Amino acid sequence: MNSSRINLAVVRHLILKDWYLNRGIILGSIPVGLGALALVLTGKPVTFMLCIIILCMVIVGVGAQLAFATTINERKEQTLAFVMSLPVSWREYTAAKILANLIIFLIPWLLLTAGALGVLLLPGATHGLLPFTAIMAVEMLVTTTLIVVAGIITESQAWTMAGIFCSSLGINVLGYVFAHLRGISMHMWGTRVQWTSTACIILICELLTVPLLLGATFYVQSRKTDFL
Amino acid sequence: MNNLSIQMEGVSKRYPHFFLDSISLELREGSVLGFIGANGAGKSTTIRILMGLVRQDAGSVQVLGHSMPAEQTAAKLDIGFVSEDMRLYGAATLRWHMSFVASMYPRWDQAYADTLLRRFDLKPEQKIKGLSHGQRVKAALLLALARQPRLLILDEPTTGLDPVARREVLGELMSVLTDEGRTIFFSSHNTLEVEQISDHIAFIDRGRLIALDEKEDLLDRWRRVRLMVPPNAAVPQLPGVVEVAGTERLPVLTTSQFDPAVVSLCQNRGVTVEAVDSMTLEEIFVANVQSRRELQPA
Repeated sequence: MNSSRINLAVVRHLILKDWYLNRGIILGSIPVGLGALALVLTGKPVTFMLCIIILCMVIVGVGAQLAFATTINERKEQTLAFVMSLPVSWREYTAAKILANLIIFLIPWLLLTAGALGVLLLPGATHGLLPFTAIMAVEMLVTTTLIVVAGIITESQAWTMAGIFCSSLGINVLGYVFAHLRGISMHMWGTRVQWTSTACIILICELLTVPLLLGATFYVQSRKTDFL
Repeated sequence: MNNLSIQMEGVSKRYPHFFLDSISLELREGSVLGFIGANGAGKSTTIRILMGLVRQDAGSVQVLGHSMPAEQTAAKLDIGFVSEDMRLYGAATLRWHMSFVASMYPRWDQAYADTLLRRFDLKPEQKIKGLSHGQRVKAALLLALARQPRLLILDEPTTGLDPVARREVLGELMSVLTDEGRTIFFSSHNTLEVEQISDHIAFIDRGRLIALDEKEDLLDRWRRVRLMVPPNAAVPQLPGVVEVAGTERLPVLTTSQFDPAVVSLCQNRGVTVEAVDSMTLEEIFVANVQSRRELQPA
């Protein structure tokens, strides 16, 4: 179904629609995340761990909820027929879904990531944790992209759930692996920020994964013959 | 008024358990086509192909001069679509839906939308999830009509409506018909509704288009002829007989090609024509489907 040109105004309207319909969960997640960050200020290791867990839960949860609400539910609740009855092509729909999910997700993600990195730069904080925190934050962005992509391509609740499960597991496994890589573990608990080549390569690979996933989504979507 | 709003040529689509078989159909601008078929006959698949939402495996589709599905965006700017399985966003109000749809359609007519709000007794500030089924259908119809479409595609819009809501929806459709430039493609299995508003009729069964005609021609051609055959006479060969019921002496013939000359032909053969009954659209549809199914079993 090749409507080759993308009408940006239509994409913008679709993004605003998804923002309007999901603004509650995003705006609600921000105070929860900021509250978690405040726990770090107590300076205790246990509250630091608690903060990390809550932040992960909030960020991954927001990404998963968004993907579900904007892709799976649209099909399940039969609102997709309404959207596709409008002058919208599959390209515009796919672009809008990807951009809506990422832009909306980026609001809490940027705020909470900046907050977490800011807290680590406070005097007396373990500054060496900053590269690892950045890597894990970007990992969560990759995870959310993966969930969104699974939702858009499969339009299946089961496959998206599998995506969420794999992503959550992946965060823990990769977090463990990254934390034990020599180039990261050596400086992790130090007082200085050390951007080693290992940390940089991981970060670049993560950042490249996002456009790769998005490109694959457009390719798969372009081969679909049925939209309803 | 000779422009074609819809032109389908040899359109096929295969699914694992269903085959839409070479549909060819033309609909002139300003016509109202009643598209009748049983559940699972292929109505919704045909409509999805028309809307560009499903790509046909073979054949060509032109809607308002646009090739589908490639030019679906341009075509959909002039199409109002309401489907029985289409839902609006439950958490949003009707007013939000109106402004969302208006943002996509340059020809959105707010004054007409306000008129429809009053006519349908809808409250714009009410969330969709708080509306009854009938109100939701009327809301969807409002959103489709206020965009001033040249082509209105309605896929069983009145299914599940109570008689009052159905009358309101049909009433609005009837008033829309006064715009001679607007084409309507109305799918339903309720033949009474289709008969009320359509000027052309198409029957679809098991993925095949089995009839496409002007309504009046169709209603004129189909007749049930009640005969009385004396012991020494035989029923003459009549054109288009699709069903013979009754007894040997009192047969009832259903014909799709009735001609008043049939009466004199019978009388010449010594057969008395007791009655020539006109048929309702539903009777014609059922007789047509049954005769096709006997000729071409699944």
